[in-house]
Amino acid sequence: MEKDLDKVVEEIMATSNVSGCLFADHQGLCLAAKGTAHVDSAGIIVAISEQACKLQPNLKPPTVSLESDQKICLIQRHGTITGAIFKLKT
Amino acid sequence: MVDDLRKHLNQLLEKVNGLHCIVITDRDGVPVVRSVTEKAPQLALKPNFISTFGMATDQASKLGLGKNKTIISMYSSYQVIQINKLPLVITFIGSDNCNTGHILALESQIDPYLKDLESVVLDAP
Repeated sequence: MEKDLDKVVEEIMATSNVSGCLFADHQGLCLAAKGTAHVDSAGIIVAISEQACKLQPNLKPPTVSLESDQKICLIQRHGTITGAIFKLKT
Repeated sequence: MVDDLRKHLNQLLEKVNGLHCIVITDRDGVPVVRSVTEKAPQLALKPNFISTFGMATDQASKLGLGKNKTIISMYSSYQVIQINKLPLVITFIGSDNCNTGHILALESQIDPYLKDLESVVLDAP
């Protein structure tokens, strides 16, 4: 059932500098997680994207980039699905 | 100690959109600490509702999948998330469209306070 999603996850993980990725539904429940992404962070990732959407509700959901010294976390919402990609800084 | 925990629960309640209440009870549904907004359904705060979880989690633990940790009940306009921390039970009540994953993630933020509470409940006659 989740073969297609698994394929997307594999593709993302094969990209250079990607250390983890996570997908969650609109209820903040984890659909898939791989690498450094932790299942428990699904709810918080969805909450962050929800809050960002409130900034300009008429436009399509923004991409949120959280940056630390060594890593970047990109959060993007598409319909009811929210995806997060954890990347190493180059 | 309880005041600190109550303050902490109030802060957590504000963090999650649509979360109406957090109640920490013993396995009989007797409230130990609770943080409630006016939107919380009063019926769901009664011990006879919360204590049902004690039986449900015992039965769910017999399914051969290991010890039951969490039960999420979805209703038409509410969701109830109950976490097994026996002898304590944590109950979250939120709106039906509330972020379930975010509520589940709150567990780790309540955990540090539970050790002291557990000993209080265990010592109670």
